[in-house]
Amino acid sequence: MKNNSNYLNVMLETASAEFGSALEMLAACKTSVKDTFAFGYFEHSKDEYNHTKTFLSILSKAARMMPADIARKYRFNSISLFSKGYLSKNGYLIETMKLKDFIAYVYTNELLAKESFEGILKLVKNNYEDTNAIKNIMNDELRHHGFAKEHFLKYYPKLQPWQLKYYKAKETAKNRFRRIYDFNLKLLGKLLNPLYILLGYFGVQIISLINTSNLSRTGRNLMDLKSNSIL
Amino acid sequence: MYLGISCYNHESAAALIDNNGNLINYYREESLSRVKSDKSFPKRSIKKIFEENSLNTENIRSICFYEKPLSAFLIPLKTALKHIPKSLDLISNQFRNFDKSSLSCYLDISRSFPGLENKILYVDHHLSHTLTALVYSQKKNNLCSLVVDGFGDRSTTSISFVNSPYEINELWSCDYPVSLGLFYSAITDFLGFQVNEGEFKVMGLASYGNSNSKISKKVSKLLYWDDKYKKIQLNMDFFDYHVSLENSFSPKLKSLIGEPRNPFLPLKLNDKNFQHYADIAAGAQEAIINILLNLFEYSYQITGSRNFLFSGGVAMNSASIEKIAKLPFIDEIIIPPSPGDAGSAIGAAYYSFLKCNKNFSSKIVLPKLFPSIYSYNNQKKLTKKIISRNFEKISDRMDESYKKVGELISSGEVIGISVGNSETGPRALGNRSLICDGSNHDAVNFLNTSIKNRSPFRPTAPCMQLNIAKKYYELQPALMQAYKSMGATCRCKNGTNSNSFPTSHVDKTARIQIVEKDTILNDLLEILKKYDIEILANSSLNLSGDPTCFDLIDGLMVCARSPLRYILTDFGLFKSKY
Repeated sequence: MKNNSNYLNVMLETASAEFGSALEMLAACKTSVKDTFAFGYFEHSKDEYNHTKTFLSILSKAARMMPADIARKYRFNSISLFSKGYLSKNGYLIETMKLKDFIAYVYTNELLAKESFEGILKLVKNNYEDTNAIKNIMNDELRHHGFAKEHFLKYYPKLQPWQLKYYKAKETAKNRFRRIYDFNLKLLGKLLNPLYILLGYFGVQIISLINTSNLSRTGRNLMDLKSNSIL
Repeated sequence: MYLGISCYNHESAAALIDNNGNLINYYREESLSRVKSDKSFPKRSIKKIFEENSLNTENIRSICFYEKPLSAFLIPLKTALKHIPKSLDLISNQFRNFDKSSLSCYLDISRSFPGLENKILYVDHHLSHTLTALVYSQKKNNLCSLVVDGFGDRSTTSISFVNSPYEINELWSCDYPVSLGLFYSAITDFLGFQVNEGEFKVMGLASYGNSNSKISKKVSKLLYWDDKYKKIQLNMDFFDYHVSLENSFSPKLKSLIGEPRNPFLPLKLNDKNFQHYADIAAGAQEAIINILLNLFEYSYQITGSRNFLFSGGVAMNSASIEKIAKLPFIDEIIIPPSPGDAGSAIGAAYYSFLKCNKNFSSKIVLPKLFPSIYSYNNQKKLTKKIISRNFEKISDRMDESYKKVGELISSGEVIGISVGNSETGPRALGNRSLICDGSNHDAVNFLNTSIKNRSPFRPTAPCMQLNIAKKYYELQPALMQAYKSMGATCRCKNGTNSNSFPTSHVDKTARIQIVEKDTILNDLLEILKKYDIEILANSSLNLSGDPTCFDLIDGLMVCARSPLRYILTDFGLFKSKY
């Protein structure tokens, strides 16, 4: 059961990551300065949407074999992309990064994604159809990486090959730190949970002292309520 | 200028009202972020409003938030307190995430739009719903407002009497956690659908159920109207949404009606469990209808008004409205095109206006159905290569494009439309739509299943001109305004073949749209007369799980990801090569 849950989790998280990428590329398409760039981002976004569909379909096939109580936890919900960190509350990457850094980000992350899919390939090795679908996705990722590289070299010709390597090393390190940070956050969450619960318990005791019965507005003209009051 | 915003709980949105009290711009955040049901602070929407109307923070006289943040924070906590230790996780989560709740509204405004934080007003949540509905009503006084939603900032259901826009007296309310909206959402969750998205599916599924079945009765008995105390009663032993982070229903509900549905299993009409789940949905729908009938009756008793404003998320339950409208004391029910929380940004903006203008002008015009301003010029340049590589131009003159669309529809094609400004609410009314011949079973089936991948038990809505609607459907005079925005279903007329239209539901109803003059759909229906096509099937231009398209790029993306072949745009008709 634990293995199955891990499998579902990998598929859900990968689908979420791909969906996040699709939205990032769509945002890049909409803010492009040239129609040729917009075309590239559009096609990239379309591919990422299709990858999401593939992973959700693999997830769905596995989750329907599970008891409903467990399967319910693996429903895909696009709003959770914010809390899972696949999208930032501050905006899309294209809105917060310089264009050069954004392209570098795509260049390195597509390669890293391809590498991570090799791990997923091992998980689905017994299923011919899923294996093929993931191999196709890996090819797409390599193609996206190639486009980003081409773009990079065309528009930033002064960049040396070592600089591309530097970008990759930087992103790899960032990804590792992200994973460590995520792990620590979860660990801290577990360790500190009793404290949070205790704080919540005392917090709510204080709140219980606040009399909310006067919040009842029956018989009152709602337009006369104070408009600067948050209560 | 006056801004209104809604966020943090359900879909977020921003609305702009001008100095004369007219709604001039409105965006749902999900349209711009492309994240379905996006509830984050509507930064993009406000920014877009500023851009499209050449405004800055100095031009805004006040900005109104759609609820009282502290009440919205305190009331669920006080309820959870009664259920310690079971509710401790929920309580600690509320405290840990206070920065994602309405309490952070002030900070978010000051961070994103410095200067605006000094102009914030806070309106009672149900009042913002009432005002949203009032904006869409010709009549501005002697009205009864019924607000029914999941949870506002204190109550879940309320009845108010609107003496004038400046005097709205609340006469009755129902306190959290007893909630029609949360009851329906818990059943939605039980049936394996996504909460806040799947409620439409439950409504569609309910028509296949037998409300007299044993299981259905068990569900409908959980929620009832107590006539003696004039209260809604909900047996909370079966629900956990007020005490648990993860479960909206309790284990007791499982022992009452069986195991919840696995959300990943397809729900097909002939499956062995289909009837069981349909009966559960029918029970929930029956309970909602019964309570609403009682609420309208009680509202009439205490206000004496025959004209109703109906808003809140539950007002989107279009299948219940038809029965309500038959009550003998009802002259009119106004349901805004976006009756849920996203739409309440309009009410909040209107509150700002009313608070700053003590002399109400009766000259305020009713808002348009397409208030989200969209300028396509930039998109035309941006999509040049996408279109030249992957689309074939059929025509770039609009009159010729319309004629061509008529021909294509008559030959059984489905057409995507992305023209002009976009709609207010969740229902596509023609500017961001997928349309086809409403009498062609194959075309409707292609639209529903191949393009949209919708559940087979959810019908597509038909749209038509008024005279055609009168010919095929039993229209309720009280709902004429609601029909313009697909706000209510109606019954197929006996003696006509409307029952057999692919847009009619199994219970012989249809969620019709009566098109207004000077709209794209009306123009197309005029052209289609020569092909004897009177009705179009109309669904939103999006794919399952995505928000309705906002701009041309979104529309082209639907073509790229689905078998949709044709798209009508502001600069012509195109055929997809994908």
